[in-house]
Amino acid sequence: MIEAAGVSLKYPDGTVALKGIDLQIQAGELVYVTGHSGSGKTSLLKLLMGMEYPTTGYLKVLGQPIIKGQAEGIRRLRMRIGPVFQEFRLINGRTAMENVMLGMRFLDIPRSRLKEDAHQALVKVGLEHKRLSLVENLSWGERQRVAIARAVARKPALILADEPTGNLDRDHALDILELLASFRDKETSVIITTHATHLIDGKKDAGLIVMDKGNMRWERVG
Amino acid sequence: MKNIFLNMGYFLKETITVMRLNLLSNILSIFSTGLILFILAMTISGWRISAKAAEAIEGEAEISVYFDKGMDNQGALKLVESIKRIEGVRDSRLIGESEAYDRMVKILGKDAQVLKVFDDNPFSPFIEVKINLNAMDHVLEELDHMTGIQYIRDNRDVLDRLGNITHLFRILGYLMGAAVGIATLVILSHMIRLGMQNNREQINTLRLLGAPGIFIAFPFLLQGLLLTLGGGALAAALAAFALKQLYARMAGPLPFIPLPPGGALISGMVIVILSVSAVLGIVGSLLGLLSARNH
Repeated sequence: MIEAAGVSLKYPDGTVALKGIDLQIQAGELVYVTGHSGSGKTSLLKLLMGMEYPTTGYLKVLGQPIIKGQAEGIRRLRMRIGPVFQEFRLINGRTAMENVMLGMRFLDIPRSRLKEDAHQALVKVGLEHKRLSLVENLSWGERQRVAIARAVARKPALILADEPTGNLDRDHALDILELLASFRDKETSVIITTHATHLIDGKKDAGLIVMDKGNMRWERVG
Repeated sequence: MKNIFLNMGYFLKETITVMRLNLLSNILSIFSTGLILFILAMTISGWRISAKAAEAIEGEAEISVYFDKGMDNQGALKLVESIKRIEGVRDSRLIGESEAYDRMVKILGKDAQVLKVFDDNPFSPFIEVKINLNAMDHVLEELDHMTGIQYIRDNRDVLDRLGNITHLFRILGYLMGAAVGIATLVILSHMIRLGMQNNREQINTLRLLGAPGIFIAFPFLLQGLLLTLGGGALAAALAAFALKQLYARMAGPLPFIPLPPGGALISGMVIVILSVSAVLGIVGSLLGLLSARNH
């Protein structure tokens, strides 16, 4: 599902964000990526989404090589990913339901299922009662759940969540991690980045990538 | 394409949202586009009216052929028949002295008294030749080769002047068309860029979610189309009103000017303006999208 060999990433300003990453993630895996701020977690996710290209090395996500000149292939790859952005990237002036549906409209989802699937996604994140609320009127936690609903409603092969526990207290952060982990199944992998290592303690049956100054260490949790 | 059709309701809603974000600018754009298109509508109508007048006068194009004084009536009638056979001649008829005199009386009206100064009828008989204006050169050349013809009087100056007016309107029409096109495209592409700028967060999010370019761009294309169609409808309504007023004012004092039927002129103008609006809307939006993508 994800293959990386010797991947490094250097930004135009000279910052080296990733150094020779080797990685193999299979379908249906749950992987946590931890590390301090600036350790390279978000850069790794950006590479996986095709927002950046490896400076050196080889990276393939869901069969799509992440290289320049493959814009259409990368766009199609993104259609199969359910991203939960750090800053949510919800569209103001639209309801929770409309935001969830927006991520599905250009997928090959039958019209008759569009509303139902979006509704079900909101039910799964516990926000069915807020489906008609404008997203700017929702609390931080609720907006995050809408972002998660938008990601899972697309029935993606890969869910990528960037720092979903940021700005949340411990209980809510654990709830969100549990919620995201629950979407893992044999066809859907889930990768979650978090700087709060202590939240992952005690998690079972998951992979752990520890990032440190652009280097990575792979461990097994539980 | 299927997705575009299925999401039409969403696109319309998005377009309205995009336009509401810059409501005043969008309204002003509709008005400015409308006024520009109104000028185009009036130019096109002026062109059609002058073309119709020229066509009507061209249809009346005639030349007068004066024959030798010594030619008798029989000879003149033979000449009439020979002239009828020239290509480009629609009809030819012998006008006798008295008919020529009566015609002048009619033309002079009250001033016809002046003709009483003459003891005898001062007018000569002549042959009135109705021709196709385009064939005038050929007809004149053929008449030159005929015997018994003393003098030919054509109305070339008048006809040429009318042709020039029509030509001028045509050139004005082309210039106006170009000016309207460029001005509308500039306004529109600017509005589209502004719309995209205001919605860049949403556009980036859609890109990250894997939305195809056409899905992202369609609301902005629709915005351009609505702006120009709005302007076009405004221009058509204003021009229709102006033409009705013009017809009402011309019917009384200037009944001799041949005008095209008002209904046909207005409906033709509306179709042209709305079609031009639609084309400009699509082209302007595409230009705006391209320029926004390059920045």
